[in-house]
Amino acid sequence: MSDDASARLRAQLEECIGQPTGRGGPSVAPDEVNVPMIRHWVDAIGDHNPVYLDAEFAATTRFGGIVAPPAMLQTWTMGRPTIQGLAERGGAPSDVESRMLALLNAAGYKSIVATNSELEFERYLRLGDRLHASTVFESVSDEKTTARGRGYFVTWVTTYLDEAGEVVGRQRFRVFKFKPLDATGATA
Amino acid sequence: MSAYHPTAPRWSDIREGDELPPFDLPLTASVIVAGAIASRDFMPVHHDRAFANAQGAPDIFMNILTTNGYVARFITDWAGPEAMLEKISIRLGAPACPDDTMRFTGMVTSTLRRGGDGVVEVALQGVNRFGAHVTGTAVLTLPAD
Repeated sequence: MSDDASARLRAQLEECIGQPTGRGGPSVAPDEVNVPMIRHWVDAIGDHNPVYLDAEFAATTRFGGIVAPPAMLQTWTMGRPTIQGLAERGGAPSDVESRMLALLNAAGYKSIVATNSELEFERYLRLGDRLHASTVFESVSDEKTTARGRGYFVTWVTTYLDEAGEVVGRQRFRVFKFKPLDATGATA
Repeated sequence: MSAYHPTAPRWSDIREGDELPPFDLPLTASVIVAGAIASRDFMPVHHDRAFANAQGAPDIFMNILTTNGYVARFITDWAGPEAMLEKISIRLGAPACPDDTMRFTGMVTSTLRRGGDGVVEVALQGVNRFGAHVTGTAVLTLPAD
């Protein structure tokens, strides 16, 4: 890429900072926090902490009743997938558009790998909580070269709120969006 | 503390340098797929080997929600049902693929009293045959006794 093109890309990426990652408004959880989804998670992970399913026991703890496993935070607002044609669409479970990632794709930085996740929990979720979430781009690094290739570290922050608009948790997420190294160690 | 977690430590007994009981997670396709679907992550790299191979991955690999789920389980299996996680901060490294074992280890790095809560910070990692899959810290509170 020429210096001009590189500077133009840089300016376009910086315009995305502080902006929502997708179109439209917040992601709204399709369901309230509920026992069947908790049970599915608990069985999948093999986590037998009784505060997640045993109402009688949970009532005796500081939580005062059943709470959802905290690491499920992201799960509640995950979009409903379209399974038919999933692989043919390149693996995108739903139609999500992200301007910053689209800019990087168009500039040839097509590979992506997650590098960091920071989850913060303001409170544990109770049955009946209905979440919504908003995600904004927080930062983009300068172009970096790593063992994987050359590209940009992109960070976004998702804020999760309950129906009253109180923040229940946050996730800061960082990916490396890059051009892979070829067999000779050069990037395309 | 409870019949479920007879070994859960009391806040007043937790010291910097305490090691958490290691946890060996057998990694199978079932473990990886079950976690992906329970977390509603339908990206095919987490359940479709042919798709994962086409993306240059050796096999399907664990999704991040599942990794966070196992980190949380590792912490509360030790700290007990009164523990409340405040933060899980992780760096992701090697993928977690089937036909492997991942060993979680952790150590208390600080404790402090905050009102009626005891705050504990734990440094942890999960290592498999490719190296460190997850490295990070978790912060939890327990009712201070």
